[in-house]
Amino acid sequence: MKYLDDARDVKFNLFEWLDLDTLLKAERYKEFDRETLNSVLDEALKVARGSVAACNESGDRIGATFDAGKVTLAPGFDKAYQDLAAGGWIAPTANPDFGGMGLPESVGTGISEFIMGANTSMSLTVLLSRGAAHLIESFATDELKAIYCEKMYTGQWGGSMCLTEPSAGSDLGDIKTKAVKQEDGSYLLVGEKIFITSGDQDLTPNIVHAVLARTPDAPTGAKGLSLFVVPKFRVNADGSLGAFNDVVCSNIEHKLGIHGSPTCSLVFGSNGACQGFLLGKERAGLLLMFQMMNAARYEVGVQGLGIASAAHQAALAYAKERLQGRSMTNREPQTGQVPIIEHPDVRRSLLMQSAYCQAMRALASYTGWCMDMAHITEGEEHDRWQGLVELFTPICKAWCSGWGFRVTEWALQTYGGYGYTCEYPAEQYLRDAQIACIYEGTNGIQALDLVGRKFRLQEGKPVKHLLGLAGKTAQDLAADPVLGPSAMQLGSAVKALGAVLTEIPAKDNAMLLTLLNAVPLLDMMGHTVSGYLLLQQAAVAKTKLAALLKDKGVDASDKAALRAALKDSAEAAFYNNKVQAAVLFAHRGLPLVGAQAVALRAGEVAPMETVF
Amino acid sequence: MNVLVCVKHVPDTETRVKVAADGLHLDLGEANWVVNPYDEYAVEQGLQLKEKLGGEVTVITVGGDDATKSLRQALAMGADKAVLCSDPAFEDADPWSTARILAAAAAKLPCDLILSGKHGVGGDNQQVGSLLGQLMGIPVVTVVTGMDLEGTSLMLKREIEGGTEVVKASLPCVISCQKGLNEPRYPSLKGIMAAKKKEITAWKAADLGLDPATLAPSFQLKKMELPPPRPAGKILSGEIPDQVKELVKLLHDEAKAI
Ligand SMILES: Cc1cc2nc3c(=O)[nH]c(=O)nc-3n(C[C@H](O)[C@H](O)[C@H](O)COP(=O)(O)OP(=O)(O)OC[C@H]3O[C@@H](n4cnc5c(N)ncnc54)[C@H](O)[C@@H]3O)c2cc1C
Ligand SMILES: Cc1cc2nc3c(=O)[nH]c(=O)nc-3n(C[C@H](O)[C@H](O)[C@H](O)COP(=O)(O)OP(=O)(O)OC[C@H]3O[C@@H](n4cnc5c(N)ncnc54)[C@H](O)[C@@H]3O)c2cc1C
Repeated sequence: MKYLDDARDVKFNLFEWLDLDTLLKAERYKEFDRETLNSVLDEALKVARGSVAACNESGDRIGATFDAGKVTLAPGFDKAYQDLAAGGWIAPTANPDFGGMGLPESVGTGISEFIMGANTSMSLTVLLSRGAAHLIESFATDELKAIYCEKMYTGQWGGSMCLTEPSAGSDLGDIKTKAVKQEDGSYLLVGEKIFITSGDQDLTPNIVHAVLARTPDAPTGAKGLSLFVVPKFRVNADGSLGAFNDVVCSNIEHKLGIHGSPTCSLVFGSNGACQGFLLGKERAGLLLMFQMMNAARYEVGVQGLGIASAAHQAALAYAKERLQGRSMTNREPQTGQVPIIEHPDVRRSLLMQSAYCQAMRALASYTGWCMDMAHITEGEEHDRWQGLVELFTPICKAWCSGWGFRVTEWALQTYGGYGYTCEYPAEQYLRDAQIACIYEGTNGIQALDLVGRKFRLQEGKPVKHLLGLAGKTAQDLAADPVLGPSAMQLGSAVKALGAVLTEIPAKDNAMLLTLLNAVPLLDMMGHTVSGYLLLQQAAVAKTKLAALLKDKGVDASDKAALRAALKDSAEAAFYNNKVQAAVLFAHRGLPLVGAQAVALRAGEVAPMETVF
Repeated sequence: MNVLVCVKHVPDTETRVKVAADGLHLDLGEANWVVNPYDEYAVEQGLQLKEKLGGEVTVITVGGDDATKSLRQALAMGADKAVLCSDPAFEDADPWSTARILAAAAAKLPCDLILSGKHGVGGDNQQVGSLLGQLMGIPVVTVVTGMDLEGTSLMLKREIEGGTEVVKASLPCVISCQKGLNEPRYPSLKGIMAAKKKEITAWKAADLGLDPATLAPSFQLKKMELPPPRPAGKILSGEIPDQVKELVKLLHDEAKAI
């Protein structure tokens, strides 16, 4: 399946909008420069478009299979994985001491978008491997780090995250898997996990599981959980593979999408021989896991973005080719059919798709950049950036996966009946996108994290800081002849959100209202923040467009000349379209903030009064 | 074995081509520039030979400063050294002049084998490799899809109309590479970072002992034009036998295909 990227906008985010130079001046990133980072994105894109995209369709049609205890991935996955591993694309942002490349997260976001968009199923293996390795790097003894980290970051061994059990999904406090300490300090594990992505596969000779389990005398609930490293095969002192470690895949799920990704049921220790090693301290498991989950949640947001953008680009290409209907200005039957991209309704949908993709990209790359800033700063400044990262994490995850899914739905609609068939990629994108709303904590749970924890973080400073910045942008652009009306919409959204955030806590049933409206609140935050970021981008794009037109000697007030210039120059068209996307988002996306505030401010509690 | 690989910096074939206002040049201001795809086979072949036999791979290009981007890509794939032949006098170099520049540079470099792509996309002249061999007085084998070393000779497979030809050539020689010869590797992240540190040698006309006056194009470009836009398709209607008759008539009279 061909992967159509939006590298131009990825590069706009990194090179023309974010403050990259501050990062590149820092000791941590001094090895990198703009030219190198540009090549990095180009080469990542090549791999994504090449062997990774090549097996996206076989992944869906043939899928991962399970037969006689063995998981087999679809044809082409092996080659794609080898290319990713050989290129260093498994862990481009990870610690160079352990085989990573130490790239900034804001660059990693672009790389992830390409690989996710080209083949989501394939990219999940990569994501979970580096996630598990990061846990080991952060919390294991030096001995364990030396055994596992480099092998995992370079893709020689795979990894998985084992949290979910049949009776412990959203609430991990009910995990039952047991871990009993042995004389040599290791543990023996017994239990069952379900829904484990890449819990088994045939790409790597060993798979290293990060497993949440309960020690015998631990208290019930989340506070009794500990985190363990459990390899599929034990590892000898010299790093070679030893005995089978009693981790058996008993089946894989049949599911709506991501057919290429094996979702495994794993049985640990059915023969009493499953050895694990503790990470950090006993009973600190969930806390440690949460640190790693932030990165994974953020990446699931990038998944939403990656698929949405790929789906939109495919729909855009289709709309330029498909002839149907007559032109708006000439409806005579004897005139020829026109490409559907000429129809206003199709154009509206296409720009909606594009604007939401750009909004997600702005949100994700800004979050990545905040992570980088947190890496290179200390003290209060570090806390400020880290606060924003924490605040943005659930928003990135849920907002980008939720709206990413909707974009795939709009993209499918662009194809008419053909989009519903398997002849075109639209239906696969739609099916592959949905899961991002569910795993790594459902979007409902993300919203609870936002309203319960993140709003209160640092006495609410990050939210206030952010709304302050957005409000200021609205004011700064208020008098702008092009962006003024959009800035006004941003101002209204900031006001509506601010009002809700002050009014709700003062109400008697504040707790209920917050829980009942957690998802709308997250959506309001997502729209306000990304609307703010998009307007910033539009201001940059507008200036660049004006400079380009001046260069070409085009008088922008002459409509015909402007049209001709936009048709002639892809760069001018790009900047123009960014401005238009921001205008559309401000007028069609941002008003949803005020609309959702209505239920909150009225104190509507109908769902609780309903007898289901 | 020391291998010299000629690479060209060319506009991506997906570029929307426009003719510049003077009607003599292409307006490539917004083009995305890449390594000529056929040259990637040449680079890969050089790297494979180096991995098997030792020695060094040097990549060379004739072009402007922006051509360093393509040299860096070849270095990122694993080439050891790079040479940029750049001089205002080289700007309008035709294939003959390009071959002369490359021959002058090759004479200064240790090389047992010279590899190039079968042709450079865009210009599509298919001349530089052959002219280079001629100028250096060494064998030239073009459109190669297979290569094996036998002692001090190469056994080469060539693509010919409807089949393959097997040719033996002694070293040193010039080989032009065709799709199918190998599968070019992707540059790795490590390779990209390492490429940044590798030196690119820049040579001007004077460094190569070339007199700029002799590098003027040997032909004059008169005009460039785009192919006419594709006319709208026709959908025939009516009974099938009538449609077939109509189709035959159109193919004969309008399309002049039969
Ligand atoms: C394809 C796939 C891959 C997966 N990969 C992994 C993996 O690699 N590792 C792993 O450990 N797990 C994995 N999972 C499991 C995934 O994380 C869980 O499915 C998810 O966390 C939800 O848990 P659940 O399915 O038990 O749903 P439930 O917890 O039963 O939730 C059902 C619904 O109730 C809501 N809900 C539940 N509790 C609350 C609450 N307290 N307040 C408000 N709403 C609530 C949820 O939002 C949801 O809408 C995967 C799942 C799938 C489908
Ligand atoms: C599962 C399935 C079952 C079906 N069953 C039947 C059946 O039983 N009988 C039957 O006759 N047909 C059937 N159809 C065909 C179905 O009705 C058409 O697919 C549908 O009408 C859309 O036409 P299209 O697919 O050609 O899309 P197109 O007409 O190409 O539309 C593509 C996109 O362009 C938009 N568009 C097109 N023209 C305009 C315009 N003038 N202005 C604005 N926007 C425009 C559309 O809204 C759409 O988003 C079926 C299709 C499917 C997938």
